Amino acid sequence: MKKLLASIIAFMLVVMTMFSIVACGGGGEGNGEKEVDKDGNTIVKIMFHVDKSSTEGQAYQKRIDAFNAAYKDKGIKAQAIFKARSAGASGYETELLNNQLEGTLADIITFDAPNTAAYAKSGLLYDISSLISAEEQNNFYSLNKYEGKLYGLPIQESSAGFYYNKKIFRDAGIDVSAYTADNPWTFEQFKDVCAKLKAHGVTAVDMRLDATKDETAPYLLYPFIYAAGGSFVSDDGYTATGYYNSTATAKGFQFIKDLISEGYTSYAIGATDFFTGRVGMYLSSGWTIPDLDNKYREYFASRDDWGLLPYPKDVVAASATGSWSYAITNNHHSDKTATVELLKWMASAESSKAITDATGMIPARRDAETNYAVGSPEYTLLKQLELSGKERPATVAYPTFSTTFNQIISALDNSDVASLLNSATNTLQTEMDRLKNLK
Amino acid sequence: MLKTSLIILVLFVLAFGGFVAYDLATARKRREVYRVKSTATAYLMLLPAVALAFLFILLPILYSLGYAFTDYYLLRPNDINFIQLQNFKDFFAELSTKGTLYNAIKNTLTFVVGVVPLQIGLALLLALFVNRQGIGSKIFKVCFFAPVVISLSVTAFLWEQILAPGPNGLLNSIIGMFGMAPHDWLRDPKTAMPCIIVLSAWQGCGYQMLIFLSGLSNIRKDLYEAAALDGANWWRKFWLVTWVGLRSTFVYILITVFIGACRILTQPMLMTGYMDHTVTLSYYMYNKGYTERWVGYSSAVALLMTIFIGGITLIQRRIFREDK
Repeated sequence: MKKLLASIIAFMLVVMTMFSIVACGGGGEGNGEKEVDKDGNTIVKIMFHVDKSSTEGQAYQKRIDAFNAAYKDKGIKAQAIFKARSAGASGYETELLNNQLEGTLADIITFDAPNTAAYAKSGLLYDISSLISAEEQNNFYSLNKYEGKLYGLPIQESSAGFYYNKKIFRDAGIDVSAYTADNPWTFEQFKDVCAKLKAHGVTAVDMRLDATKDETAPYLLYPFIYAAGGSFVSDDGYTATGYYNSTATAKGFQFIKDLISEGYTSYAIGATDFFTGRVGMYLSSGWTIPDLDNKYREYFASRDDWGLLPYPKDVVAASATGSWSYAITNNHHSDKTATVELLKWMASAESSKAITDATGMIPARRDAETNYAVGSPEYTLLKQLELSGKERPATVAYPTFSTTFNQIISALDNSDVASLLNSATNTLQTEMDRLKNLK
Repeated sequence: MLKTSLIILVLFVLAFGGFVAYDLATARKRREVYRVKSTATAYLMLLPAVALAFLFILLPILYSLGYAFTDYYLLRPNDINFIQLQNFKDFFAELSTKGTLYNAIKNTLTFVVGVVPLQIGLALLLALFVNRQGIGSKIFKVCFFAPVVISLSVTAFLWEQILAPGPNGLLNSIIGMFGMAPHDWLRDPKTAMPCIIVLSAWQGCGYQMLIFLSGLSNIRKDLYEAAALDGANWWRKFWLVTWVGLRSTFVYILITVFIGACRILTQPMLMTGYMDHTVTLSYYMYNKGYTERWVGYSSAVALLMTIFIGGITLIQRRIFREDK
């Protein structure tokens, strides 16, 4: 036994010493060598997070083909790399990091907006503040910024709202026609509608409280906290104490808790309960529109049977935003001209329209052409994005924020809001301190 | 990384080569010509397996061990610094706050204490049941083993449907017939871990059943006949013949089930998400390493976990070792 222990300790000491000497060396950074094909064209590589055969992938490829046709005479050729997120967002991130480690990272990558701070701090992304004019930046609803510098341009935007069953509302004698993106309802009006639906004998609203295993619940529910006047982190993204556990933040979470305790929503609502007429309202993003248009014709024969309401406001109006973005990596060519040309092309109004036409999402740019009918669900989402869209907290510790947010939502019904927030704040603050001290 | 791997490879080749050379030199010194040839042949035949073991077992272990003493952050693979024991200090500092890490250890221990006896007990019962040469014993054997070949992800999904919180969940529908209210089995801290224990024992016991069956087949029938002649009842036969005959099989099963239980990850990850009442040490480690990107810290947790599991396994072996 003693011999075994001695051997283990000796082995560990050898490994420790070895790593202290060699592990710190790491691999080399991207060499920034300009890649040129046999015809002398500068190759610019762009990596996408979707499968090439998907509708979105095909839209990207079409834009790349159009770029290559337009820049044929200028000696620039774009090359698309498709790495579908088959193992989730973390799988795609692993691919990015492996490429970074090998020095083969593409010149431009797509990435999920909440990762901006972490990627920028780690040196994965290139500061494009000086490469994109202020006028051009103003065209975007949101930008991927960290510490005041621009690191990415959104591909498309998203917004969410409350889908509602018009038949149930009619039967319950509820009129919500006055609540629009320009004139959102209040927390109290929202509760009144819930009370009427409950009195009518249906579950009032699916707040997606069960969607706490991934990013769905944080994405859909964070606007309630902003609407109540709360926040999550300081502007620099390194302080949670005093923000995440503030009284206003607690008020936002308390509103959600009240919806549970008053029986307006629950954790037990089935995934298809709204779509089969058992629930009055359903909180979701724009991606639910095609489902309602095509999949549940038995319950929603046409758009006359369902509608979309904006997020309710309290102190202010706030709604969900955020999607994937483009960024130039630090593995860029020493000659950035070609890379920037491709970035601008892919983030242009024309590309934005082409891609959102394929995905059904909202264009990331104000100047992108849209033809949504006034009052349509798409129009409501776009208008809401313009008027009250607020991004998720920009912090290097975003994964921890997302985890703690899910933990709060999951425990809301049987725990005190203040103690949940204090615990989450401690966890997030510890992580932020650790990241701040990262050399 | 490539440089590090090459250095480790060179060190490994030198160590392996040195070992082979020493062995051959010893054989030569003793003028054991036959042993020189056979030793050289043996090492050559061993080489492919050693190379594979180096690549896929030793190298990852060495890396993980080494990273435990660094500040490796997933997004900064080119900037890894040696930070001595800082990760271990952070581990114990976090443990003292009685937060998620504390819960992860508590839940893992709860799971181990619950699942090990349940799974082994079930496996033994099933093995004894199908070991009878009765009608349909082969069908039962297949049925009991079937959950083992189903992916754990699929099993977790199926059980999630069974335990669904609404009145339409299978279990809730059944208890509803007796007038009981629906229950949120996986979100209630009192029922979530017991549910995961039952599912895991159900899913895994078929494999141990087969091992017990092979152990049962090695017990001589005449021992039972002798016991019967001595007037032993069913329990005495089981305790004095079956159990004694299965002792070494039991120790093997105990150790493997214990190690497997300590590493539980998939079930809580798929069924509940990262919740304080179901998070386990492996899940905590995964979350720290991949979601929060602290590979160094996560490796330190892995090292501590390995030491813990190794320590308990050694104790188990000592307690259950055969008397010489």
